[in-house]
Amino acid sequence: MKKLRNLKALLLVFVAAVALEATALVQFYFSQNGLREEAKLRAEGQLEATRYEIMDIIDQAEAAVRNSVWIAQWCLDYPDSLQRVCQRIVADNPVVAGSTIALVPGYIKNRPLFSPYVCRDGDGSLKVLSLATEQYDYPSQEWFARPLELGEGYWSEPYVDEGGGEMLMTTYSLPIRDSKGVQAAVITADISLEWLKELMGRMNVYPNAYCTVGSREGHVMVSPPEKQDPKTLVFNTMVDRTGWTISLVIPESDIFGVLRRVGSIVGILQLLGLLIIILMLQSFVRGERRYRELDKQRERISGELQIATGIQMSMVPKTFPPFPERHDLDMAATIVPAKEVGGDLYDFFIRDEKLFFCVGDVSGKGIPAALVMAVTRTTFRNLSAHEDSPGRIVRAMNDSLSAMNESNMFVTFFCGVLDLANGQLRYCNAGHNPPMSLTDSIRPLPVVPNLPLGIMGGFEFQEQEMPFRYDDAIFLYTDGLTEAENSAHEQFGEARMDDALHGRKSAQGHLENIKKRVADFVGDAPQSDDLTILFIHYVPSSRRLVLSNSIDQVSLLPAFVEDAVKASKLEPETADSLNLALEEAVVNVINYAYPEGTVGEVIIDAATTETALTFTITDSGKPFDPTAREEVDINASVEERPVGGLGIHLVRRIMDDVRYERRGEKNVLILTKKY
Amino acid sequence: MEVKITRGNGEVTAQLIGRLDTPASLEIAPQMNALADEADGTIILDCTQLAYISSSGLRIFITLRKAAAAKGGKVIVRGISNEIRSVFMMTGFLNLFEIQ
Repeated sequence: MKKLRNLKALLLVFVAAVALEATALVQFYFSQNGLREEAKLRAEGQLEATRYEIMDIIDQAEAAVRNSVWIAQWCLDYPDSLQRVCQRIVADNPVVAGSTIALVPGYIKNRPLFSPYVCRDGDGSLKVLSLATEQYDYPSQEWFARPLELGEGYWSEPYVDEGGGEMLMTTYSLPIRDSKGVQAAVITADISLEWLKELMGRMNVYPNAYCTVGSREGHVMVSPPEKQDPKTLVFNTMVDRTGWTISLVIPESDIFGVLRRVGSIVGILQLLGLLIIILMLQSFVRGERRYRELDKQRERISGELQIATGIQMSMVPKTFPPFPERHDLDMAATIVPAKEVGGDLYDFFIRDEKLFFCVGDVSGKGIPAALVMAVTRTTFRNLSAHEDSPGRIVRAMNDSLSAMNESNMFVTFFCGVLDLANGQLRYCNAGHNPPMSLTDSIRPLPVVPNLPLGIMGGFEFQEQEMPFRYDDAIFLYTDGLTEAENSAHEQFGEARMDDALHGRKSAQGHLENIKKRVADFVGDAPQSDDLTILFIHYVPSSRRLVLSNSIDQVSLLPAFVEDAVKASKLEPETADSLNLALEEAVVNVINYAYPEGTVGEVIIDAATTETALTFTITDSGKPFDPTAREEVDINASVEERPVGGLGIHLVRRIMDDVRYERRGEKNVLILTKKY
Repeated sequence: MEVKITRGNGEVTAQLIGRLDTPASLEIAPQMNALADEADGTIILDCTQLAYISSSGLRIFITLRKAAAAKGGKVIVRGISNEIRSVFMMTGFLNLFEIQ
């Protein structure tokens, strides 16, 4: 996958490179053609201009000779005057360097060879020489022989003049016929070819371009420079009549040099650009890969943390109300972890009509704390499955956690067991902050601090107890609540918590209220610690009081009756009279169902219905029906009135219904008070 | 439950303080029954601070009343609360005692 991505990236760069270079090549090709075309145009133009210049001189020389032919014909009969004709040609035509009229040998009998030659001297004056010497033997010279042979004008091959200044020369010769049409002489004009060199040198269309001129026979008239480029473009033109070939040689480097320089610079720049793109792409791909790996890692960790939170949350009861079939408990709880997973816990469950509950705070945060939390919760569940005493549960938890505590983490823990039948609360505190008890007043539950769990195995935790009455509540929390900080680093504190707990609300109402107050207080500040709340509100619709058969036990009745009245729709003031009725009934049982010396229990169940409050008094004593007792005559005189018998009378008067049943081995007395 | 007994002007005053439930009645019965010896005079039962009374408490009251009837003395019940008054009414005690 990784390789494939690399390959793709490389391929992309490769394609881009090819496209870029192909474009450059096409551009280069067309530019080169354009330049070649331009060079051709320029060269041809220049060649043409040069050819005209040469032709001009050629024409001048030819005209000079041709214009003198008639006078030369006329002078044939006076050979000595021919010299003057030559003088005229040279003098009148600056292009002509020298001129002669050479007679055909034998044309004049006494002069076998005759050829006066006029040329310019070094100072510009004319001098006259004779070419009619034996060594020179002009009849054998090309300039003389060829025109006679051809019968027309002829430009000689270039030659180096030996007599007249070592110059490269060429000669135009024209045969002269006499009046009879016989070839009598040859008239010539020499022109120096030095100007040709100069003229060629002026052809500088390109800096290193040069010209060569070749004669009809292939002699080099203007030679190329010594240093020559290997690659050149050559353009030719031919000069009429003389048969010269002018070649303009342009080195390719002159034509394409700039293009090639620019092209290579552009090419290099393109390659550099591509290189940079490749490097950037590579680093981008590498960065991307790294980023993706980190992202994946982060996703994995975050996913695992979410799972961990899920597992953790699945460990605490989350469904509220937790016991919808029960009306004696109103509960609410929450954990708000500071990080994804936290070290707080709460738990509760009911076994044998007892509510087992706990709140704990593991030292530290995050996953380690969450693991300890999980262990703590599991240990709590395992131990409380068989053990009713919170002191013994906490002791065993402490021993278990201390034994495996290698990471030196500890747990502050509060464990309570509320007997739902009689409201007796037993609890044990392991270094946790005291819960708030909401009874007649709101104050911290009196707790022995003991030690947090996991610090010292074998520690003897002290268990405490407190009767829980109708409408009492307990509010357990972790220090994440009181130590919740706002952005000014002020803590929520116990005073605010205390204040928030005032007012009658359902458990959920209390919870929402506290959460809202904390949220309002904290504002935008980040949550620094886990926050856990467990609220238990005890509202039994039926309660049970179990008394032993001792008269002292009736002192437990007032509180029981008061709670029963509170849970009912009766006025609180009725509590006293109901208590009286109950006391009379119970005292009867103790006195008559359980004869002196026997031991037994008197069980009182209070139940509220829609219409009435009912007390059911059950005992296992001998059959005893108090309703069977005779009515006392309250109108009898002092002397006639019996001292006793008022008890059942009061019961009858106070209660709306009094019913006795013998159920198996038990006496059951049912007292009903309607609303 | 507390009982304060004071004597003066030929009268015995028993001040009953607290709840006179069954255990409390058993506790104070000997002390109270002893007052029957003085039933030829006036026995005042001060109930101003009595919060509650059960049938065993009423039994102490009527025992003294019977003794007074036999000896020609009288028993005055003083300062009963509404709750106790209703108990007296239910038991016919309002007719048996002089209520102040």
